Amino acid sequence: MSLKKIEQTKKDRWFRIFDLIIYGVIIISVAVLFIVMFTTQDKSKLTGVKILLKSETVFEYEFGKEYRKLSDKVEVKEEGVSLTVTVRDGDNFNEVYIDTANKTVRMSEANCRGKHCMYFAPMSDNSDFISCSPHGVKIEPLFRDLDNPIIPFG
Amino acid sequence: MFVKKFTKLLFPFAFAAVVFSAGCGGSEKQKNYTLFTNMPDGQYSVIAEQYTQGGKISGYTGDIDNQPFTPPENYSHKRMYYNYMFADAELIVADDFTAEGAEAKFNEFSAKVNDVLKDVQSALSSGFKNSDIWKFNEYVAGAEYEISAITYEVLSLALSVHELTGGYYNPALYYNIQEYGFNGSYDFPESAEQMPDDETLSVYTEIASHFNEITLREENGKYFVKKPDYSVVVDDKTLTLKLDLGGIGKGYAVDKIDRLYDEYGYNYGYFNFGASSMLLKSHPQSGDYTISLVDPRSFKHEGYINIPARNVTLSTSGDNEQYFEINGKRYCHIIDPFTGKPVQNGIMSATVLGGNAGENDALTTAIMCMSKETAIKFIEEKLTDKKVVFTYED
Repeated sequence: MSLKKIEQTKKDRWFRIFDLIIYGVIIISVAVLFIVMFTTQDKSKLTGVKILLKSETVFEYEFGKEYRKLSDKVEVKEEGVSLTVTVRDGDNFNEVYIDTANKTVRMSEANCRGKHCMYFAPMSDNSDFISCSPHGVKIEPLFRDLDNPIIPFG
Repeated sequence: MFVKKFTKLLFPFAFAAVVFSAGCGGSEKQKNYTLFTNMPDGQYSVIAEQYTQGGKISGYTGDIDNQPFTPPENYSHKRMYYNYMFADAELIVADDFTAEGAEAKFNEFSAKVNDVLKDVQSALSSGFKNSDIWKFNEYVAGAEYEISAITYEVLSLALSVHELTGGYYNPALYYNIQEYGFNGSYDFPESAEQMPDDETLSVYTEIASHFNEITLREENGKYFVKKPDYSVVVDDKTLTLKLDLGGIGKGYAVDKIDRLYDEYGYNYGYFNFGASSMLLKSHPQSGDYTISLVDPRSFKHEGYINIPARNVTLSTSGDNEQYFEINGKRYCHIIDPFTGKPVQNGIMSATVLGGNAGENDALTTAIMCMSKETAIKFIEEKLTDKKVVFTYED
């Protein structure tokens, strides 16, 4: 690089006006997204969960009620105040631990690569979810069917 | 020969299996509980096997069930969640939301509900700095100061239920609640040695017994409260009467929101505040909702009784909300106003339907503090217009 070219580069401004506009738009978009995400989240307490395997609901449980096993790929073990739900799909398996007393849900075991799903925070409110992408397993909040007139109370 | 040998070999295993299964059966046998109610037969169904009905409580002359119901032609549900006074609240409205202006009307309604909850919290939460009750607790004995209409109404209600229940409802057991760690800190005693001593508790209970000396006055549209002129010095600290109106406050908020439903013409849906106080309108399909009261001894939160109801408010209290156990004994957050200790009279939960939720909230707390016999007599004599059910453990 010639000395002249180096001098020219030094004289150039760090940012051109269009660069600044693009950076501004990005920052504003991130800020808006951040605000929307945190103000529209449903932070009400978890009332139940459903487990999806490759977008198909395979298990449903509303706290205080009987669980619904919707696939042969699911095994449920009841122990005291907990339910352990095992989802098997070929060689893949995920184990979901439901604490029925404290109304929390977590992925307790899985044989997926990375095991990132086991490091999701336990679900305790209706904004939480747990996902195991390699196995296509997702745990989502289950909302009460409002046409059902039975309301647990107390 | 082979069969005989085989049988001989198998016998010890068979014997062990029988003994083992009998042992397991014995340990898994569920405890039986009793429920007492003044509800007429046919107006409820007991759904838990371990519950048997005790003697019927007489005296119910209420007219809660004769409510008209017309199913809506077109409806969908709207749901909102709130969190005030350290409790979740769920609001459900069923209406024709395709109608013009229906969405805007609901948005206005749900904002007003939020305002009510905010106002009640601002007035009554003892943990909310500068609330009327926070000020009451901070002020010296005998002080008089201006309060909001909300605080005036709730204190009037609390004083009237205190009188109606012969002192069994007492929201002034503030120090006792703190002493046992039921103040939200969950700092419960972990052994018998860590339990509060009787002498300290009796000082606190004596302070609470001055609750009925609170005086209220209204002048030119302004409201005033005067704190009882009673104080005690403990460890160089002057203790005066302090209040916790959290329970009755939730019921009071439910009553205000009930009136908002009527004001906006919403006839279908419900509002549930912290699963302790609730208002029911009609269910859009079946008319009645079915309230499934949660068994206070069920880890799975299963119901023990189903009660169909509509257009009514209800409240419930139980020893399963907050408690700790020491040597197999349960110590719950409801304090007996006469002993100053967590209630242990055998009543596990109490639910009252009808009238207003604020009063019901205080009444269920009072019933929890009574003996079984006192509760039955009280319900027979004083709660003839309300439906009451309580569960009992021997």
